[in-house]
Amino acid sequence: MMKRTILGLLALTSLAWLSGCSSAGPVNAWEKGNLAKPGMTFESDPLDQRFTQHIYGSKENSSGGYGVGGGGCGCN
Amino acid sequence: MSTHNTPPSQQSATGVLLASLLLPGLASLAALAPATSAAETAPEKSTIAVKYGSYSDSQPGWDRIKATAPQVYVQAPIAGEWSIEASGVADNVSGATPYAHTQKSGASSGGKLGMSDERKAGDVKITRYMARSAISASVAYSTENDYKSTALGLDARWSSDDNNRTWTLGFGAASDTIDNTASGINTAINEHKNTQEFMGGITQVLTPADIVQFNLTRGVGSGYFNDPYKSYDLRPNQRDTWIALARWNHYLEPFDASLRTSYRYYSDTFGVQSHTVGLDWVQPVGKLTLTPGMRYYSQQAANFYFDPVLNAQGQYDAFGTLMRVVGLKGYKSADQRLAAFGAVTLSMKLAYAITPDTVVDFKVETYRQSADLYLSGKGSPGLDPFNAQFIQIGLTRRF
Repeated sequence: MMKRTILGLLALTSLAWLSGCSSAGPVNAWEKGNLAKPGMTFESDPLDQRFTQHIYGSKENSSGGYGVGGGGCGCN
Repeated sequence: MSTHNTPPSQQSATGVLLASLLLPGLASLAALAPATSAAETAPEKSTIAVKYGSYSDSQPGWDRIKATAPQVYVQAPIAGEWSIEASGVADNVSGATPYAHTQKSGASSGGKLGMSDERKAGDVKITRYMARSAISASVAYSTENDYKSTALGLDARWSSDDNNRTWTLGFGAASDTIDNTASGINTAINEHKNTQEFMGGITQVLTPADIVQFNLTRGVGSGYFNDPYKSYDLRPNQRDTWIALARWNHYLEPFDASLRTSYRYYSDTFGVQSHTVGLDWVQPVGKLTLTPGMRYYSQQAANFYFDPVLNAQGQYDAFGTLMRVVGLKGYKSADQRLAAFGAVTLSMKLAYAITPDTVVDFKVETYRQSADLYLSGKGSPGLDPFNAQFIQIGLTRRF
């Protein structure tokens, strides 16, 4: 059940991606007000991101992809 | 709020830049910058943020690790064209981890039972802002009882004339030393690991309500990758990675809300491939912002991970597993983190703006990892499911 829900969300996300891309075109400066809102930032809270990514990196094999320059740890 | 009919001269060009020039790592720091700052403009105000994180995990019948992590972050403008950022964290970790698979017993075999450790880490980043570009350099250092890491990072970003597109290039390198002789375990004596990362990215404004980002990262690592606290652990001394990250943020005007989505594909020379999907709904309600979120992760097993031997009742057979290990040639690992599994995180964040420059936040997350959540069928057998809870309380102040 959980996996079906997840797969459904994946499909919805993919559709949303496609619909977003289909309407792509030049966007003028005066049309970007909503893009400047805090909720539209890709990462809204650096300390939050570091804390959670540090946890995932210590409990899963995969880590990284969000930036460069971070160090390692002997995390358990 | 629509701004379609607003003259360009009345637009917040800097705010637009902030949205369109976001970068990994740097983007996160920009979020704490004043709302009027842009990626190519030094912040006008200084920022200080503190956060207290708490973490605990468990599997059935066993509370494993507890950790606390107070963090601090500061950012200050310098001479209008520069900024300096610094952060620090002091993790305090205690508890126990399995010696193999999800087995609690076997402390004498090297399992990290009853461990307690403190990690202190800090980093400093300096950024130079120019008309349509910015360059950053950073250093980071982390130290704990048995592990030290030194890292540096360089990245550059520049934007198109219409600010609809931003390119990013980044390089990072880390040099780590692993040594647990101080704890008397002596399974890793003056071992070293070096990694380099190369990243390229592009951020594109698609529509007045859509911004997307794609990053590709290549990692090259060599040295000591074993876990010195696991039994039967012998890993290759080279691990190279490819990571692709795609993110899409969509603004929903009827709700004044933002939907943040992300997908990450990861592949390494251990034979692990993983998929990570993130969804966050950012809903402002007056001075309050609610952000419910979900993350799904699934990875296949490393090609040298071995399953445990189970008895007729499906329970862990320690002797049988040992016999299996004896028969294995070459690389091997019984580390749960190299198995095939899936994981789901549900989160809720509340942020309240006491004033425009002072924000308090609270976030709670619950995480479950199990073979049943593996994306394509059943994951690795014989592992107990794993649960964790993360809580964060923070305060951000600009002045």
